[in-house]
Amino acid sequence: MQTLQFLWDGFVIAAQPANLLYCFLGVLWGTVVGILPGLGPMAGMTLLLPLTFKLDPAAAIIMLAGIFYGAMYGGSLTSILVRIPGEAASVITCIDGYEMARQGRAGPALAIAAIGSWIGGVLSVVGLMLFAPPMADAMLKVGPPAEFVLMLMALVVMSFVSSTAPSKTIAMILLGLAVATIGMDPITGFARYTYGNLRLAEGLSFVSIALGLFGVSEILLNLENVADIKAIRPSFRSLWPSRKDWKESTPAIGRGTLIGFIFGLVPGVSHIISTFVSYVVERKLSKHPERFGKGAIAGVAGPETANNATTGSAMIPLLVLGIPAIPATAVLLSALLIHGVQPGPQLLIDHPAVFWGLIASMVIGNVMLLILNLPLVSVFVNILRVPYPYLAPAILLISVIGVYSVNASPLDLWLLTACGVIGYVLRKFDFDVAPLLLAIVLGDRIEMAFRRSLTISDGSYAIFLEGPAVKVLLGGAVFFAVVLGLARLLGYGRDSNGFEKPA
Amino acid sequence: MKKVFLAMTMVLAMVHPVWAAYPEKPIEVIVPSPPGGGTDIAIRLLAEVTEPFLKQKLVVVNKPGGGGTLGVSLLTQAKPDGYTLAGVWNSPLTASPHTLQVAFTPDDYQPILQISSAAYVLCAAPDFPANNARELIEELKKNPGKYTYGNDGVGGTMQLAGERIFKALGVKVRPVPFGGAGETAKNFLGGHVTFYGGSVPPIMPHIKAGKAKALLLTSAADNAALPTASGLKALGIPQEETVLWRTIIAPKGVPAEVLKTLEAAFRQGASQPRFKEFLKEQGEELVIAGPAEVNQLIREEYKALGEVAKDIGLKK
Repeated sequence: MQTLQFLWDGFVIAAQPANLLYCFLGVLWGTVVGILPGLGPMAGMTLLLPLTFKLDPAAAIIMLAGIFYGAMYGGSLTSILVRIPGEAASVITCIDGYEMARQGRAGPALAIAAIGSWIGGVLSVVGLMLFAPPMADAMLKVGPPAEFVLMLMALVVMSFVSSTAPSKTIAMILLGLAVATIGMDPITGFARYTYGNLRLAEGLSFVSIALGLFGVSEILLNLENVADIKAIRPSFRSLWPSRKDWKESTPAIGRGTLIGFIFGLVPGVSHIISTFVSYVVERKLSKHPERFGKGAIAGVAGPETANNATTGSAMIPLLVLGIPAIPATAVLLSALLIHGVQPGPQLLIDHPAVFWGLIASMVIGNVMLLILNLPLVSVFVNILRVPYPYLAPAILLISVIGVYSVNASPLDLWLLTACGVIGYVLRKFDFDVAPLLLAIVLGDRIEMAFRRSLTISDGSYAIFLEGPAVKVLLGGAVFFAVVLGLARLLGYGRDSNGFEKPA
Repeated sequence: MKKVFLAMTMVLAMVHPVWAAYPEKPIEVIVPSPPGGGTDIAIRLLAEVTEPFLKQKLVVVNKPGGGGTLGVSLLTQAKPDGYTLAGVWNSPLTASPHTLQVAFTPDDYQPILQISSAAYVLCAAPDFPANNARELIEELKKNPGKYTYGNDGVGGTMQLAGERIFKALGVKVRPVPFGGAGETAKNFLGGHVTFYGGSVPPIMPHIKAGKAKALLLTSAADNAALPTASGLKALGIPQEETVLWRTIIAPKGVPAEVLKTLEAAFRQGASQPRFKEFLKEQGEELVIAGPAEVNQLIREEYKALGEVAKDIGLKK
């Protein structure tokens, strides 16, 4: 009962006109940075951080949090329309979202992404409200060994997501892991493949690689037959998802919410991993796995829901422990510290207005985003009417600006170009670039978790089998492997695991 | 014509020294970290409270990269006219140059004013068999290499500060580098490493909640807010102090009058109640020191940390 009273107070705070305005500005700006390739929630938040110094703490965090979850909405747009991930968490949406757009179904794809995002976002806030303390405890149990096991599992799972033969997928994963070693050795500080360059010592920029492998290579591929590319003219009747779309998407959204919320426990890359896992799950459970990669709406609904559902659980370690688990919540932490608000065990007692105001504002903000995004679907799909000879240079230009804006580093532009060419060649030879990208993202984290674990255990590999979190993870993996194996033995197996080559 | 113009400018320059009206335009202050970090917030606030005394805008620009060394490189390459300064913490000046290839030495910049100081702290879980620094050292001596401590990152000031002390005490603790104090705190609270090593604010709420006990400080002095922890003076090794501190620096070659103007303005800014209060909230101390003192501090710390980095095999 008391919780309801607090929540009500929270809504009273969040509904103050000024706070509503800051919430709206936050989600609007979040949508914009989510849409713009290169700019992600981090850049969006740090750009506005100095402005929040003068606001009161509740307004500041309401606005900054709005940018964070708002970006998860915007990210899907360019993925679906032009196959350029607007944001790292939308990489997987490129696969089926873009296929849907090519079939003239960009409207339903965008609509289902927005609705899934909304459901995932709101339910994860409910989860945050109900389970924050136990989730925080569980989160602490995930140490370096469990992180390693989890990320390794994500890579194994990835070999099932891919539309290419497992041998090709594994080759891409290994290449990605190798590329990820560029930069400073995380334990000894030794510079690897940096040639004395400070920028390289920090490792390769993920944004440049993602835009290069996906965006630039797509444009290069399209240039070969640019005369054949007709601007797609979506009919306005087909903007809304059909009854069949709903039937396929609803369970995907439900599972995406759960996956996203649970994977929010993983520090650092939860929003990215959750989308990959959701995609694999949908594909495994689908009655038509062969449609994945060719425009399955569940392949959009699940991941887009999952990345939003991580936003609620990502707040838990920040609010309950005062510890940011991902870079975006680190920015929120500094915003709170500037105002003398120390998140952590005392937050609920010392600053209930901040805590409950934030929770209520996340509910309100998600509603705003839905209202903002759905009508815009019909506006955005018109981008596809632009003839490709005009669209392609525009996309390239925006990508270059986006990449440069992150670090102001010319090196990143070279990387963008190189990755565009490499992505083009790889795709020409039927290699899937998604596992490559995931391996690059996870590469340095997986290495760090592995070597931290071994430092902690003083070299004993047994650490990867110890501890409650590791046991739960391994137990889950064994369980699913056995169930799937049994199902196949008993004749429920499907041959169409989807190793067919893309057309 | 060109010569005449040149001569005229020279004459003008003589009768009208460039610094006479300094500062006549906004001054850029490079912060070599992303927005939102401890240094960024401190320098932004310092800029705000100092502007009235300079009667000019101080524009903070973030140039992150290379653990802060990129921003310092940019500063050393800037024109020494007093219109480009940097607000930095000590790591890119005294720690990172030993592990990264950087294009500057302490001779390429000059400090203007130190503004803050904060000790790092070593904390253990409540059930750890030591309740003060003396018992901690005994326990560590009994079990060399058994325990682990989390730190802010490989080659970072916290790790070098810790190793410096462990070496002086003759103990061995295995370092586990994390991506910052927040990540260290999470892994410490989850029981994945024995000790938390890092700045005080992130762990303070957990010390208050009884989830951590502070044992050792990397400063010479004790800290009244952490009564269970000892400073290095109490352990007889005050000379091994390494703390987190911040300073304003300028490129080498800025005219002395300009430096004086800046030092005076920043001194006044830093003594504003708003700035003092901010540092107190952050768990830091207001320590103001002039150019000569800071210069000496930088050189001593640079040398000491260089030796530590060499000892533990980090030096490039």
